[in-house]
Amino acid sequence: MEKKIGIVNRRPPHGTTHAREALDLSLALSAFNESLSLFFIGDGVYQLLSKHQADLILQKDFQPMLQMLELYDVEQIYVCQDSLSVRNISVEQLVIKTTLLSTDEINLQLAMQDQLMSF
Amino acid sequence: MSDHQVTKFTLLVTGNPASHQSASNAYQFCSAALKAGHKMSGVFFYLDGVLTASNLISPATDEVNLPSLWANLANEYQFPLEVCVSASLRRGIVNQQEAEQLALSNYNLKSPFVLSGLGQLAELSAGCDRLVQF
Repeated sequence: MEKKIGIVNRRPPHGTTHAREALDLSLALSAFNESLSLFFIGDGVYQLLSKHQADLILQKDFQPMLQMLELYDVEQIYVCQDSLSVRNISVEQLVIKTTLLSTDEINLQLAMQDQLMSF
Repeated sequence: MSDHQVTKFTLLVTGNPASHQSASNAYQFCSAALKAGHKMSGVFFYLDGVLTASNLISPATDEVNLPSLWANLANEYQFPLEVCVSASLRRGIVNQQEAEQLALSNYNLKSPFVLSGLGQLAELSAGCDRLVQF
């Protein structure tokens, strides 16, 4: 049976390349694995917040690439509701369609994965 | 080893070898697992981990040389050291073929490290019992 792979995104979109390279990895893995899940936790939720102006800080604007996840049939995209709340971000401000989960539900989903890669 | 179960590992190394201890931890884990009789499907280097593949890394004589340690271990136990090509190129890790294609004046990929795509990580992930990230 195909392994369930979870990609955990916990860092803000810029400052390090973790977010962008995790997205590269997610898109690449989606071609080989149909049981891919993405998790956005903690400051990772900022990656989904709309209206980035990455060019002002000489960073690549990779947010348009988030739209490719749908094209690549990556549908299990989980966002931590508590992380959004404490940062005062509403779901309407996110650039892609996601599933909101509580901390407990996130933990449950993480425990169901065969492999986790964390960025 | 006969009374132990043999595990086939894939390692994902994302730490910078010059500034992050995770890079050394990965090597020590790999070495210990192999000495205990486990198998290594391969080690995949991504993010700043790709810097481990440079043959220009020259630490002081009283510091460890991680690229050489990896190369020796891979030669001894015959497992692949795969380095993500896109992460490498943006960090200045280049092999001869890429240098020629991109008209670069030089290349620096250490043997036996090889440049490969993220698809190779997918393959290593599918073919192992456990994936461990450093």
